[in-house]
Amino acid sequence: MNEIKKFSKGFAEGFKDFGNNISIIVNSVLLLIVYILGVGITSLIAKIFGKHFLEMKLSKKEKTYWSDLNLKKKPIEEYYRQF
Amino acid sequence: MYILGISCYYHDASAALLKDGRIVAAAEEERFTRKKHDNSFPINAIKYCLESQNITIKDVAHIGFYEKPFVKFERVLSQHLEMFPLSLKTFLSSTPSWINEKLRVVGIIKKRLKYKGDVLFIEHHLAHAASAFLVSPFKRATIFTVDGVGEWTTTAYGIGEGTSIHLIKEIKFPNSIGLLYSTITAYLGFTVNNSEYKVMGLSPYGTMDKNKNPYYAKLKKVVDIKEDGSFRFDMSYFIYHYADRMPSKKLCKLLDGPVRKPESEITQRHKDIAAALQLITEEILTKMLNYVYKATKCKNLVMSGGVALNSVYNGKILRNTPFKKIWIQPNASDGGTSIGVCSYIYHALLGHKRNFLMRDAYLGPEFSKQEIKEFLDKNKITYSELRGEKELIKKTVKLIYEGNVVGWFQGRMEWGPRALGARSILADAGNPDMKEILNLKVKHREKFRPFAPVVCVEDALKYFECDKPIPEAADFMLMVYPIRKKYHKIIPAVTHVDGSGRLQTVRRWQNPLYYKIIKEFGKLSGIPILINTSFNIRGEPIVCSPNDAYKCMMGTGIDYLVMDKFLIKREENPQDMWDSEVYAKD
Repeated sequence: MNEIKKFSKGFAEGFKDFGNNISIIVNSVLLLIVYILGVGITSLIAKIFGKHFLEMKLSKKEKTYWSDLNLKKKPIEEYYRQF
Repeated sequence: MYILGISCYYHDASAALLKDGRIVAAAEEERFTRKKHDNSFPINAIKYCLESQNITIKDVAHIGFYEKPFVKFERVLSQHLEMFPLSLKTFLSSTPSWINEKLRVVGIIKKRLKYKGDVLFIEHHLAHAASAFLVSPFKRATIFTVDGVGEWTTTAYGIGEGTSIHLIKEIKFPNSIGLLYSTITAYLGFTVNNSEYKVMGLSPYGTMDKNKNPYYAKLKKVVDIKEDGSFRFDMSYFIYHYADRMPSKKLCKLLDGPVRKPESEITQRHKDIAAALQLITEEILTKMLNYVYKATKCKNLVMSGGVALNSVYNGKILRNTPFKKIWIQPNASDGGTSIGVCSYIYHALLGHKRNFLMRDAYLGPEFSKQEIKEFLDKNKITYSELRGEKELIKKTVKLIYEGNVVGWFQGRMEWGPRALGARSILADAGNPDMKEILNLKVKHREKFRPFAPVVCVEDALKYFECDKPIPEAADFMLMVYPIRKKYHKIIPAVTHVDGSGRLQTVRRWQNPLYYKIIKEFGKLSGIPILINTSFNIRGEPIVCSPNDAYKCMMGTGIDYLVMDKFLIKREENPQDMWDSEVYAKD
């Protein structure tokens, strides 16, 4: 009886690991497709038009790298949003 | 009215509970799960907060979260778009956690807490700003927040007045003093978001003369600093904007060698690099703060963000800038934002007047005498009970004076990364061997790291060259000051290589028992200064419960443990002894 229990427990754990590995593979494939088609194409188009997403350009001309934030109290409804 | 603040999913998850404007409970999740810097949903910290007030989630009027997740995700996507195809690996590794939890915060909060109300999302640096200003002693103050990164902001300044906060300008990701410090921390073989303070401690061993330290000029090539302190990085020296590592090969070449392997020898080159980093950090921050003062014209300064834990620099601020007063929250890093969130909702959004000053950091769990006794009896631990406060003080002081290392577990646990006399290890600062004894017996930590002194506030100026009046931030061990030269040899165990000490000042009303111990030790030894180091072993969070404290003592060389009125001697409990050294990690 104990051996059967042990076997079924091991089987269940093994099956769970198998399922996890499958989901990792499927997720990775799906994410790879999203990365190439979504991120990749958008990135290429942006590069063609000279659009940059991060502030990485150094400038001798600019006197400051501070940028306006102007963050102050907004109507409370604004804070229910995650953006 | 109860408001719950939550921060999680980056590092140092925490929860804080506000009751009618007063912060009544706050704790970090790591203290309960025993995983250092635990970033998971702080269910245990929340549970503690609610239980401490005997309430349930139904009594909570609002819950606030410490950032705007979608704005942060926008930044992460921008990194992938900018750095395609180099960011493939991090895209594959990090996107599932965004989909599964970080973008589903509302659902998770409602499900895990069975909460039916709404969740408010406060911008990360606004949460930092609120955590510093709204619980500070100032009605009006300049606010300066500086950390690794929030949504986009890495540095911001503004003004706080009454219950309102206005953040005026910012520096955006990927340009970040916090991330520069973390990059060099990683380069020096220490763990990021954990060991930055070690690099700060290592820096005085290097050449602090800008003209003589070769790495100062080299590191300056990495960052373009304007006169107003604003800066941008040459990102070819970094890879953190697209990889899960931080320094680039180009940075390694610039610094004359590869990333140092953890636990390998620390050479003079490493020390000089740490010194150069500290020098550049201080240069940027000083320029920034001078500029910020010109913009705000307010001489009170409050600071928050991980960089505000750079106590070496904090001790220099009032000398190098026009600011006259400074206040820093004890938990200035991300963990502290949960306090900012609930304070901002209550005061700024709901318009209630401020009625709370954070004058001490004792906001965590406490254990009654009965609970401790039950724990000791249940586990068949040999102990003695001291009769009253007088005997407790006398006995503890005597043990410390005789060269013992004493675990000190009293009252409510501290809020923030520093042990401040509730979960501390105490020892004699005047014992020249004590640094080695503590390292050997207890902490198993790097030899270059200094131990911190604790002194009653009225005695501090005699031994330390502090700002006058001594800022309250020193109560939270956030200011490093020079130790007066004639005392360097009197308190060698807490005198760092450059003659400085990261002192904790104690005021009687904050913690009367702790205060009396220090005073009594002064009467016995002639020097009213103790070593106060956190009650943990390297790599573990500070102890929270009697079980954690007892386990820590039995796994280390702590000689005695004083929990409430109970005195436990390690040698009398041989059955529980074990060696924590094998578990000590970065």
